[in-house]
Amino acid sequence: MSAYAGTIATAGAAECCWHCGETLPAGEIIHARIAGQRRSMCCYGCRAAAEWIEQLGLADYYRLRTEPAPKPDAREVGASAWQRPEIFRHVVRDLDADRRETMLLIEGVRCAACVWLIERALGAMPGIVSIQVNASARRARVVWRDAEITLPKILETLSRTGYHASPLDSQALNDVRRRESRDALKRLLVAGFGAMQAMMYAAVLYFGGNEALDPSTHELFRWLGFLAAMPVVFYSARPFFTGAMRSLRARQLGMDVPVALAIALIYAASLIEALRGGGHVYFDSVSMFVFFLLAGRYLEMRARHRAGDLTDALARLTPPFADLRRDDGTIERIGIHELRVGHQVHVSEGGIVPADGALLDEQCRVDEALLSGESAPVTRRRGDMLIAGSVLVEGPAQLRIERVGADTALAGIAALVERAQAERPQLARAGERAASRFVMRVMILTALTAIAWSYFDPSRAFPAALAVLVVSCPCAFALAVPAAITRSLAVLARWGVLVVRPDAIQSLAETTHVVFDKTGTLTQPDLTVSNVETFNGASRESALRMAASLARGSRHPAARAIAAMSAGDHVEQASDVRSQSGLGLTAFVAGRELRLGRIDFALAGRADLHDCEDAVLLADDTGPIAAFWLTEKLQPGARQAVDALGAQGLQVAIASGDSASKVEDVASRLGISQWRARQLPADKLAWLADLRANGACVMAVGDGVNDAPVLAGADVAVAVAGSAELAQASSDIVLVDGRLGSLAPARTLAKQTLAILQQNQRWALFYNLTAVPVAALGFVPPWLAALGMSMSSVCVILNALRIGREEATP
Amino acid sequence: MNVLLVMIPLSILLLLGAAAAFFWAVDHDQFDDMDTPGLLPLDDSTHHDD
Repeated sequence: MSAYAGTIATAGAAECCWHCGETLPAGEIIHARIAGQRRSMCCYGCRAAAEWIEQLGLADYYRLRTEPAPKPDAREVGASAWQRPEIFRHVVRDLDADRRETMLLIEGVRCAACVWLIERALGAMPGIVSIQVNASARRARVVWRDAEITLPKILETLSRTGYHASPLDSQALNDVRRRESRDALKRLLVAGFGAMQAMMYAAVLYFGGNEALDPSTHELFRWLGFLAAMPVVFYSARPFFTGAMRSLRARQLGMDVPVALAIALIYAASLIEALRGGGHVYFDSVSMFVFFLLAGRYLEMRARHRAGDLTDALARLTPPFADLRRDDGTIERIGIHELRVGHQVHVSEGGIVPADGALLDEQCRVDEALLSGESAPVTRRRGDMLIAGSVLVEGPAQLRIERVGADTALAGIAALVERAQAERPQLARAGERAASRFVMRVMILTALTAIAWSYFDPSRAFPAALAVLVVSCPCAFALAVPAAITRSLAVLARWGVLVVRPDAIQSLAETTHVVFDKTGTLTQPDLTVSNVETFNGASRESALRMAASLARGSRHPAARAIAAMSAGDHVEQASDVRSQSGLGLTAFVAGRELRLGRIDFALAGRADLHDCEDAVLLADDTGPIAAFWLTEKLQPGARQAVDALGAQGLQVAIASGDSASKVEDVASRLGISQWRARQLPADKLAWLADLRANGACVMAVGDGVNDAPVLAGADVAVAVAGSAELAQASSDIVLVDGRLGSLAPARTLAKQTLAILQQNQRWALFYNLTAVPVAALGFVPPWLAALGMSMSSVCVILNALRIGREEATP
Repeated sequence: MNVLLVMIPLSILLLLGAAAAFFWAVDHDQFDDMDTPGLLPLDDSTHHDD
């Protein structure tokens, strides 16, 4: 039984939608029969999706899932337009005469059960050859036979199941990341196999000794070691050689140059020794050397790729189609790729601007929140530029396209984000620089050893120099950072804390101040009734029931909060309900005219009540019946999260654009003494800059929509999941499900990670300082050099695995 | 020691086989999705056609 199904069962299926988990609306409840049980649904969309899943025989999904399903939206799929040849060519690749392949970006994939559901729902359709869903990248690769099924049909099936999918550019099929990670995995495995074999053959030489083995067997095992090391050096280690060549051509000395030099030297020297028939060979050491270095790189690449998956969100901001207005006034739907500069485009109200263009109409209002972070729609006049990806709030509008494709402002931002994420973490770069400096020093030391020995005893110069080269191990340096970071990222991901930028680990550990946004971060969008006062002897229950009869039909947050108080009770039907926008509701209940709303509206000046200015009043013709005080609902766990952060000695503050009384109320309930109300994004930013100027390391937590500049101005930006996609993509850390409670443990973990990282680096330094002089003096036999080198690396990895061990999960 | 002349080539052959199998697995997406396969045993619906 999955964790999620358990929560649903305990929460009582009556209160929330069986499909998407949202609270059921007041009023008539929709039902559906799923797996023989009657389940409540919040809307017809959810019911259709649930019944469709049931009809496919996939109701098991509800048992397997760990997160609620995505709520199907009524958005237009526009599926048929994908059949247009101009668009089709861009998103689909022909595998052969009949089979087609495409990469879909799927929204709403939340847990492994979603993957299961999508694979089953599509896989059962005739004509689908294969489907693979990658949950972390939110992508699906679909292969189908064109004669039996079409792309629009596939998209339609997905949208009926509740997932909105859009095909990506067919270049996404030649996935660079995928090829890179497969290559790395193969090289790592070859290095691992080679190292094991080389070590096995070397063990015979080490422990057999010259007495037990006759010379020919001795010789045989040497050459076997050479054979085993060959694929490691020539296949697995190739990235080091090509990297070294590249940096030499650019006249730089990167990490790859000394590493490639060391590999080549050890291998060549061992080959010479083997040919001469004397001394020691180090084929096992060189294989292990490559294996450990590749392991470090592989771990680091995995962390980088996970972060890169989030940039896919950007692909979703621009619509795939545009409505082209022809000269004769007709409108034709074309693919975004066909759009050219100078085209006239029609955007309907609620639509997304397809490319940057100048407005031809008198004026319109657009929401540019995804780009600028301003949540309020802005007015644009004739000739103003509209930016691709913004939403037309008040329209329609005609545009003349001025920039398309990669030239648009949105594409520029996307490229910036992508570049920032392709960069390797600073910690890792610093670690590599340390390792490369170290290798250079070892090279010099090796040369010195060889020169010194050639004065005293030329016959020992070569073995001693080789021993120095082998026993000194940059692997421990190169592994120290990736191992620690990868481990901490994995632990954090399990806690619902997704680290987008691995550098954030360091800033997270150094945080001194936390600044929260209020709405959407600390509080929920819903209101709740905090206090009820009754007048003229009315009972609390009857007042609530009366108010609920009026409020049931309304979607206003205050009305929903009042109706929720009497959910499940029998409530009398109200008749002739009229709502007056911004004021309140009137209706007849049991023959009495009731008013619910602001004080001046409900009482209509007939009576005067003090201290009720902020309340919602229920009144009839004779006077007030009850007053309801509403407050914002706190996010579950917000109080504990704030307490835990405070207990770690952090300064917690709220910066909100809301009014002072509301912010103060929330701040006092959370025990936060520092708060600022009526803050514009610029004010918040100035405050952060002020704090940082005084030496504070600031973490900003927000839902991203109107906090984008604030998040950008903080040392660590934390976005709550469900916030704007672009804000998520440009923030450092994303909290899944808005679990604020994970913040404090995450900081502890980050501190532990840095501590362990330092331990690892100190250990690597200590090991090398002890081992190298001994090797230089010629006291280290080859088996000890190999053992020392690998054990120092294994110690680093084992130490990194301690991260998150003692910590209790939040 | 003559047995070595049989066993060592045999071990190398086995190793080549293992490496080939692994390469095949990597190329056939066996390491791309590490989440869903864990759920498959929990699925007790009747149609295991694929």
